[in-house]
Amino acid sequence: MRRLAPLLLLVLAGCEWVADPLKFTREDVPRYKANAEHPAPPQNPTGLKVMAWNVKYGACRVDFWFDFWGDRVQLSEGEVNDCLTKVTALIKEYDPDILMAEEIEVDSKRSAYVDMVRFVLENTNLQYATFDETWNARYVPSEGVGRITLGNAIFSRYPITKAERIRQVDRTDQDFLTATFYIKRAIGRAEIDLGDRKIAAFVVHTEAYDFDGTKQKQIQQIFDVLKVEEMPWVIGGDFNELPPVCDEKAAEGSPDSCEGKLRLAGFLDERASSKGTEYEQPPYTPSVMKQFYDSYEPSISLSRYGVGEAAQSPYFTHTVLGPDGVNDEGVPGRWNRTLDYLFIRKGESWTNTDVLQEAGRLGITGDPLRLSDHAPVVGTWGLP
Amino acid sequence: MRALVLVLVASAAFATPRPARDTADVGNAGSYSVGVFNPLRIAFHNRFELQANPILFFVAPHLDARFAILKPPVEPGQLPMGVRLTAEAGLLMPTYGMRLMKGFFFPSWATSPNDIGFMLIPRVGLLFSGDFFTNDVLTFRIDAAMRIPMGPNSATPMNSFLAPLEILFAAPLTGFCGRLGGAYDHAFGDRLRLRGEVNLYLTGQQGNLSVNGVDVGAVAPISPFIFTAHLGLDIAVFKYSRIAVGALFANYDQGATQVVTRADGFSDRVRVRSNNILPTVDFIWAGF
Repeated sequence: MRRLAPLLLLVLAGCEWVADPLKFTREDVPRYKANAEHPAPPQNPTGLKVMAWNVKYGACRVDFWFDFWGDRVQLSEGEVNDCLTKVTALIKEYDPDILMAEEIEVDSKRSAYVDMVRFVLENTNLQYATFDETWNARYVPSEGVGRITLGNAIFSRYPITKAERIRQVDRTDQDFLTATFYIKRAIGRAEIDLGDRKIAAFVVHTEAYDFDGTKQKQIQQIFDVLKVEEMPWVIGGDFNELPPVCDEKAAEGSPDSCEGKLRLAGFLDERASSKGTEYEQPPYTPSVMKQFYDSYEPSISLSRYGVGEAAQSPYFTHTVLGPDGVNDEGVPGRWNRTLDYLFIRKGESWTNTDVLQEAGRLGITGDPLRLSDHAPVVGTWGLP
Repeated sequence: MRALVLVLVASAAFATPRPARDTADVGNAGSYSVGVFNPLRIAFHNRFELQANPILFFVAPHLDARFAILKPPVEPGQLPMGVRLTAEAGLLMPTYGMRLMKGFFFPSWATSPNDIGFMLIPRVGLLFSGDFFTNDVLTFRIDAAMRIPMGPNSATPMNSFLAPLEILFAAPLTGFCGRLGGAYDHAFGDRLRLRGEVNLYLTGQQGNLSVNGVDVGAVAPISPFIFTAHLGLDIAVFKYSRIAVGALFANYDQGATQVVTRADGFSDRVRVRSNNILPTVDFIWAGF
């Protein structure tokens, strides 16, 4: 029996969950380091360039079936490598000290099993990384999605000394089978050693399609986690929520009403055929973001964001529909809402903040509108 | 329960053990067998039989013919002995069955003309069986199936969580599936047969991704080798039937990686092969 034990271990080592339930509350996750040599970052910096970007699993502007502008399920290896080459070129152009990236995939069928953590590490100046899985299924039996490992990553030019993930609440509006194979959201946290001090970086990506208040609970949980963080911190990510320009619950005509101030529905990239499906856009609730603006420092303040689409459009971060597609009214895709954010503690300072919507913004030459369905949000964090 | 066991045992006439399955043996004219999952086999001649799976036949029409090249005479009620060599040839049209799996194992392609293409899958094989002792059979087999496209096809390999599915769809989705296998089967008394089988499969390449008729590049490579091992026990019931139970082990590449932590505390992802351990069960009527 003793002789058989190693053989049994070898056999079982290859056995996996069909869908990992990710049952943890808070746990450490692996850290990764670039094999390529990178320029050393300045020691004891006084400010950090940070970037938050949902990179759409290296698909660039390929429309997947849940976008309703196409029906792709899978990318070729060349498509992924080509897209990631452009994505990393843009990252290198801005050259952040810290990158919080969402929709990073490794060993996923749809993204040709490319290890995107490794790809970013080897093709930018970011030397360290942590990756927290939020979706790990050996096979998703829906539309042939197949094997998937998706999550959020924090990349840094400075050493990451500790990495962990904090579990977020799950949706309650799905049947057992769908829930089993669905994404399990988590907050990623990394401790980064700057030489003379340590800081904490957080990355988040909240729920996009729930109708049961899950996203609102997840946003509240993120707020609460930040409230008790003892280190200087920065958070970036795709909150899937609009800025709190108004209160969606306020009566029409009242001072807080969203009428004329913020578009809540009917975005140009929402396809009519998505209505009634599991990928229908749920109503936005920007009021849940208010406490972030009240208690923390956003990279784009509400006063800068402004009122009405004309003022706000330079800071939009998302469009499902790409520039080469037109919606049912013949309007080409363009950035049409803000879902991505950067925050630091109240009283700390941001400089050179922007949303990299197009070539020329902060000197970039790449075209983010063709690289993902989200635009990078960037800024320089003056360290406390 | 006790009554059922009594019926099963009492109704059995165990003059000789049940014959081994999946060998080079071709039954004498008129003999047949069929399982819930095992194919229906009917011998139309002492050296010729046809087989098809009754469940799959109506969604994926197929037929296999088996020709006994070497077949020693077999007395009625006796098991075959000596060297047997059998050739197999078959044809499968899997498209309709595969299209039933759209939305689950394949994309729906709701907004495009992409679809699973029509195709024919011819298969040829050779089986060799012999004996060491009374009531045992050693079998070697080699077979190959390939895809003949009958039109445009957008389906790509499933890379699924079940190796048997990969094997079943290897030829339709990768264009080729070859097998080299061996099995040893031994009867223990009149009621039990123990069978061990190993197979090495070679599938085709993952191919290129076709979108609206445009080739958008190669699908990510996956190792084309699949290894399976099966241990099974056949339990004789009634006069000619048997219950077949067993366990299948399969080792294949499903694109998995494992995180390995280095001495410096940082980690790497390394590609690993995946394993399946699956129970197998069937009830087979009649038998040769």
